[in-house]
Amino acid sequence: MEENDFDVVGKPMPRIDGVVKVTGTAIFADDLALPHMLHGKLLRSPYAHAKILHIDTSKAEKLPGVRAVITGKDFPGIVVGFMKQYADRPPIAIDKVRHYGETVAAVAAEDEDMAEEALRMIEVEYEELTPVLNWEEALREGAPLVHEKAKNNIGAACHFEYGDVEQAFKKCDYIREEKFVTQRVAIGFIEPHVALANIDGSGRILFQGSKQSPYITWRHLAWGLNMPLDKIRIINPYVGGAFSGKHEAFDLDFCAIRLCQKTGRPVKVVTTQDEVIGTYRQRHEKHIWLKMGMNKDGTLVATDCRVIADGGAYLSVAPLNLYLIGLFNALPFSIQNVRYDAKRAYTNLPVCGAVRGQAQVIAGYVFSSIISMMANDLGLDPVEVMLKNLVKEGEVLVSGSKVSSCGLEEAIRKVADTINWREKRVKKVPNRGLGFACGAQISGTRLGGHFASSAIVKIVEDGTVNLIHGGTELGQGCDTVFAQMVAEVLGLRFEDIHIEMEDSHDAILDSGMFGDRCTVWSGHAVIAAAEDAKRKVAKVAAEMLGAKEDDLIFKDRKIYVKNNPEKKIPFLTVVRQAQYGLGQLIYGHGSWGFPGSEIADFSQGHCEHFTPSFSFVAQAVELEVDPETGKVKLLNSVAADDCGQPINPLLVEGQLDGGSVHMIGQGLYEEALYNKSGQALTSSLRDYKLPTAMDVPKLTNYHVITHDPNGPFGAKGAGETSTTAIMAAIRNAVDDAIDVRITNPPFTPEKILKALKDKKEGK
Amino acid sequence: MEYPYVQRLPKFEYLTPRTLDEAIFMLSRHRGEARVIAGGTDLLHKMKRREETPRYLVGLKNIPRLDYIDYDESQGLRFGPLVTIHAIETSSFIRHKFPILSQAASSMASAQIRNLGTVVGNISSAVPSADMAPGLMVLGGKLKIANIKGERLIHVEDFFAGPSVSVLAPDELVVEVQVPNPPPNSGMVYIKHTIRAAMELAIVGVATMVAFQNGVCSEIKIALGAVAPTPIRANRAETVLKGRPFSTKLVKEASQTASDEARPISDIRASAEYRKEMIRILSERALNKAREEVK
Repeated sequence: MEENDFDVVGKPMPRIDGVVKVTGTAIFADDLALPHMLHGKLLRSPYAHAKILHIDTSKAEKLPGVRAVITGKDFPGIVVGFMKQYADRPPIAIDKVRHYGETVAAVAAEDEDMAEEALRMIEVEYEELTPVLNWEEALREGAPLVHEKAKNNIGAACHFEYGDVEQAFKKCDYIREEKFVTQRVAIGFIEPHVALANIDGSGRILFQGSKQSPYITWRHLAWGLNMPLDKIRIINPYVGGAFSGKHEAFDLDFCAIRLCQKTGRPVKVVTTQDEVIGTYRQRHEKHIWLKMGMNKDGTLVATDCRVIADGGAYLSVAPLNLYLIGLFNALPFSIQNVRYDAKRAYTNLPVCGAVRGQAQVIAGYVFSSIISMMANDLGLDPVEVMLKNLVKEGEVLVSGSKVSSCGLEEAIRKVADTINWREKRVKKVPNRGLGFACGAQISGTRLGGHFASSAIVKIVEDGTVNLIHGGTELGQGCDTVFAQMVAEVLGLRFEDIHIEMEDSHDAILDSGMFGDRCTVWSGHAVIAAAEDAKRKVAKVAAEMLGAKEDDLIFKDRKIYVKNNPEKKIPFLTVVRQAQYGLGQLIYGHGSWGFPGSEIADFSQGHCEHFTPSFSFVAQAVELEVDPETGKVKLLNSVAADDCGQPINPLLVEGQLDGGSVHMIGQGLYEEALYNKSGQALTSSLRDYKLPTAMDVPKLTNYHVITHDPNGPFGAKGAGETSTTAIMAAIRNAVDDAIDVRITNPPFTPEKILKALKDKKEGK
Repeated sequence: MEYPYVQRLPKFEYLTPRTLDEAIFMLSRHRGEARVIAGGTDLLHKMKRREETPRYLVGLKNIPRLDYIDYDESQGLRFGPLVTIHAIETSSFIRHKFPILSQAASSMASAQIRNLGTVVGNISSAVPSADMAPGLMVLGGKLKIANIKGERLIHVEDFFAGPSVSVLAPDELVVEVQVPNPPPNSGMVYIKHTIRAAMELAIVGVATMVAFQNGVCSEIKIALGAVAPTPIRANRAETVLKGRPFSTKLVKEASQTASDEARPISDIRASAEYRKEMIRILSERALNKAREEVK
């Protein structure tokens, strides 16, 4: 790690929320209880596709302790979605259910047992429809329609073409075509969805839930409940992980509020892991037909990529999802001739949206996989081929985005050296394999109208600082990072900065926590707010010191005059003078949006100001395959990321480990399965196989430090970048260990054994 | 259609006998309406899924001294119905004398579940993948079963009658597990095949115990988990090796026979075909490993 000139930024500060979390005193949504609170429960459809003919709630309503029962009729005519143009989902089902577990009614009762008893008394008359359970069925001529409006079950599509793909394929030395399938997976956060709604006598709602982007939820709630925004206040307590699964307002959020309005009492709805894993947001199942052209020297020439995403019953953020695979054709590798075609099929399965790393996880997987295969075919070293084709700092991609900084070359060399790539590739141990891969990630983007981030810094009379920002602490560590930034700007100590829960009443909410945008976008806003406060403090200090404002240096809780360090005054003294002497309360505010930020045209591709920067990761994995059982044992992982200047290297390391382990799950163990009726088969943590601590190999991490010109203190996003390489590294290592072309994760023992058998039988 | 989601526990009455006799009396009085609860790690989950809705739960926790583990040279090992999986896993003399039981115990679930769950509970639930069963079967373990009329002793391998079904009548209770000393010059091992490294149900479980006299296999037992409606003995495979010296060829033949004897199903964890293949591979490994362990 390079030394820098910062006092707090770039240092491995302990998490600001560490103590409350490890002592179990952090308050999460389900810890909250309000006086006279009722408990809400949702009735879910056991069918994947059915008409709702009639719902009789009369018996449930008569049960003692039951205070309200609602159905889709309590949300008349409302259709919501992630964005207005993609609205396709009622808050809860009205006339039709489109996936297993879709909510058809909700109750509020004095306790949870009464609420459940009431659910059992609700009589729903369904007319079963043939469910469409995979993309092939969905796109077949005459298939049952998931949505009447989507006549061919296609909810979104993309087509881009850059360069001259036909000509490029004709001229290149070697072409390989490969089909990849990446499976549907659940998200894997620890804290299930929770919603707590309260109402006051004026009808104003206070909503407290477990949400990832409270600003998005806030707007969705106003939309889905047909209420003015100012009638809803949203406070977000601590969140137990989200990984893009908690942006939208869901059935439970709408129902908690509607039940609260009906009863005039607080209503809390808490879901179980069983509901969350089997029913809520997942990652798309993707079928990818990839054709790649390469010259003999390893230069990438052209790619033709066709994707069909099996996405479930509603769109969520699917249009963005499709777009990103196209944009990442073939980041972090540079290709001038790109054709990309993608469709997203509606099916009668739970909804797929975004999951940590988004579609870049899939793009990273297929491109590093095929490059490795083709390099081996041509007798080249995959690492050399990757190095040869890297995007360069300053390069403008075919899609129009500019790579403002790139430290990936150094990252690749560091990883290859550490894992001893060159030597181990030659001296092979039977059934052991090495795999290498690279990935890339954006640092946030603009999705809709509002896209900026904002923050307020309030200087307290004791010389400490309260920071109000629009980011959301989900466990990723943004509160710690922001406290470091404020302390750095104001020359204070890390422990002088305090941050409370996001609250729509006084925080200027952010456009959301997604796509590795928090550190960059909200970080810039936090710095701007701190700079604003600093200017105000400096004005007072300059007068006290008899110096020019521009000559003041804030450091060690003191304010110094440049070139005259003997002339100084404590920060606290200046604050007191401002407040007590001059009657000035010092607030700083700031906001930031990426200059020129455009909303990408998801169907066409081109976008010059899509993201302020790209982060990168290189990763190598060493593993061993048991050739008799097919079981993979991971031995070693080495990764190096370029996320600009890490604000807190300890947290970036945690993200790199966390992202790697998360995707070990998708690489080796996880798959969300549904039976022939569309019912969940893997909705418990026993059957849905997230990796455990026992599955984690030795992880070695490095950070290559670049100073991105668009980043706060030169930082770029880190938390999702870490997910984009390891799946291909694992695949390539399996390939290296036992010489089989396996392309469809999870690489379970049974699949690997079958691949070995097929190879033996010459299939 | 049964509501497919986990629900809260259904209503039940919790009975707290102070003695085993009292517990047995309660089971008899509420025959068919009562279930015994020890750790509850299987039962409570089934109740939340409404697969079981007993009116009464007979809790054993207030009965003193049911967590005993006794051993003497002549009788072997005996332990009570409240002995947890954790207690078996961590007992140093069990690890020394009956290592297969420690291996099976440590392969199960998580530390939290092992602290709550009991060995008798694992057997009584009678699931095909019960990890404690194959080891007890190859050791010739017995269960002492009590009802209001008296007690009977049956072999663990005769206990199971189908998936989640055993010979235990609704008014009966397993009150003790008895495990004879392994024969001299014997070795034993349990191999559990899983996808993850922890928190797993077995795809296949293989337990083997072999003893040798004058270089000849004098005793052999092979038991398999998760590959038939109940944990099973691979009797025909045993006869391939019994009375003969071990050879690579014979071990392979026995392993193939064990695979032929199994009747696995396909489920979300693995296909029947893969399970058959794994029995062959893992039986071979388990037999060779048990041979190495002979002391």
